[in-house]
Amino acid sequence: MCGQRLLKAIGSTEASIELLNYLKSESLRTRNLSELSGTLRRLVPEIMSLRPSSAFLENTLRELLIMLTERKVKDVEEGKECVAKFIDEVINRAKRISNEVAIIGSKRIADEDVILTHSYSTTVINLLLRAKNEGKRIHVYVTESRPGGEGLTTAEILSKNGVPVTLIVDSAVRYVMKDIDKVVVGAEAIAVNGAVVNKVGTSALALVAKEARVRVYVASGTYKFKPETVFGELVRGTIITEPNEVLPPQADDELKKRIKVLAPLFDVTPPEYIDAIITEKGLIAPQAVPVLIREIFSWPPQVPSLDELLKKLGGMYG
Amino acid sequence: MVKYVLPKKVAEIRESIRSMVIRGAGKIARSAVKALMIAAESYRGTDVKDFVSYMDYVANYLITSRPTAVSLPNAVSYVISRLKRAPISSVDEGKELVLKVGSEFIDYSLKAVKIIGELGAKRIENGDVILTHCHSTAAVSVIVTAHKQGKVNKVYVKETRPKYQGLITAKELAKEGIEVIYIPDSAVRYVMKDVDKVVIGADTVAANGAVVNKIGTSVVALVAKEARVRVYVATETYKFSPRTVIGELVPIEVRDPTEVVDEEFIKRNPNVKIYNPSFDVTPPEYIDAIITEKGVIPPHAAILLLESEYGWVLTEYLKVLEETIECDADHLPYP
Repeated sequence: MCGQRLLKAIGSTEASIELLNYLKSESLRTRNLSELSGTLRRLVPEIMSLRPSSAFLENTLRELLIMLTERKVKDVEEGKECVAKFIDEVINRAKRISNEVAIIGSKRIADEDVILTHSYSTTVINLLLRAKNEGKRIHVYVTESRPGGEGLTTAEILSKNGVPVTLIVDSAVRYVMKDIDKVVVGAEAIAVNGAVVNKVGTSALALVAKEARVRVYVASGTYKFKPETVFGELVRGTIITEPNEVLPPQADDELKKRIKVLAPLFDVTPPEYIDAIITEKGLIAPQAVPVLIREIFSWPPQVPSLDELLKKLGGMYG
Repeated sequence: MVKYVLPKKVAEIRESIRSMVIRGAGKIARSAVKALMIAAESYRGTDVKDFVSYMDYVANYLITSRPTAVSLPNAVSYVISRLKRAPISSVDEGKELVLKVGSEFIDYSLKAVKIIGELGAKRIENGDVILTHCHSTAAVSVIVTAHKQGKVNKVYVKETRPKYQGLITAKELAKEGIEVIYIPDSAVRYVMKDVDKVVIGADTVAANGAVVNKIGTSVVALVAKEARVRVYVATETYKFSPRTVIGELVPIEVRDPTEVVDEEFIKRNPNVKIYNPSFDVTPPEYIDAIITEKGVIPPHAAILLLESEYGWVLTEYLKVLEETIECDADHLPYP
């Protein structure tokens, strides 16, 4: 399938879309309802295991399974259409929301702002390009974002679109922070307390920004809010421990055998280091996340687990 | 200044320092002194004055290879200032002095690392988890000494982009049988809650106790402070910068973009600027103690060490300053 390595290297929304499209195409190949149900029951946990921290993915899959278990699907054609239509809609919605976030967020960018961003986020890139197209003369610093190095892609896209870009190593964030006006990053998931799960290094960056009194904005659609955190659930992030995936080519085999490698892909930035979360519903303080969670999922949030829903699906369609 | 023809080996050492084949402030210092000794030995003239000016020329030639590490000028002036102050009457005497003082410095430098190890290990407690950044012989000495005393649980080693000096540290620690966990630089805050002590080296210590070290050190120190983890800087006293006492800034070396990205990326993205500063400055308030071969001191006491080690340099600087500044008594705001 899509390959875990590839998935690690791209942004949260993009990775989720790729996985959802895969689910769609696999579903469309099924020939009867029980086969469709079987495919979903097999692929949903598999997809979640590839990107366990993605709130977008979990929210979407939950919504899909609720829909399939609440309406009685008559035959496989109806079921397939349901899945395909739903996934297409979700993807379009995510893209629309990302643009809405960009529109709201770009208002926070002033002319001649020097902005620092980390890793790769389509929403952040949208936001910055919009600010640039509004005539704001921005300069963007981008961290390379090891492991993965997605910052190089961000730098490339921004530069190709006429934004002056400076690329730095992750370690240089404090060195350059005194030249930065605003930090803008994306999100993988946002917990009920306003803590933001994002590419590893975000939390150190936010701390460094706070020390320098530089504002930190998180650009994220509400589809990345994680309602399960209301019930205490932790966000699980992928951790790479395979030396070959982290160590540079010059590391010798002898060393690889002798040492351990720990490369978490995500970290958690506490809400007190974040000035605002920019959502499609407006700019909010991280402490106000529960207000939006209540609006979207009601309160307390109605969030049956994927396992529960898959079991129900199996009971209904085999 | 007269241009002298220098021995090939001296030029090689300078180039190795510049291109970071020889790296680490201690090794740079010892190599530079070695180069001075080689230069002295191969001097063929008989005029004492010319010998001293030749040595001065070599000194300058070596010092200009890398701007940030103060161990380089300190080591060189350790030898040259002694040469200049000694009452020598022949070139042979001069050569002998350079060789004697030079090997004295090298011995001292090697011994200093061991003493730092002993002193620093006292600060490590049983079961400590240590985190280190880049590669520092002094920091490794502290960790290895503590490990031999059975105190070290495991060590997080940061990979240290762009040049991955973490690999060298990982190798040296693993060789001693220490459990090493290699992490990308970005993961430093993620692991900090698991860390008991941060032990790092220094390239230069300024008069106010600020530590200039490999880029990323100040992030590590800030993250440690946030987590109330102690930060120790292990460094020889020849990395203290006397010039900073008279207000001079430590220049930060900015190195080549190809250390960060490959040529192909640069060709594809001519408009992306790659900014590659090699060092950053950690403020003294983020440092719990500086461990030197002369003792463990709080960073703010850096001036004490500077006075005792480099008092004579300071006196010279100030004398030059006094001579160059003219005071216009008529314009004093008070009678």
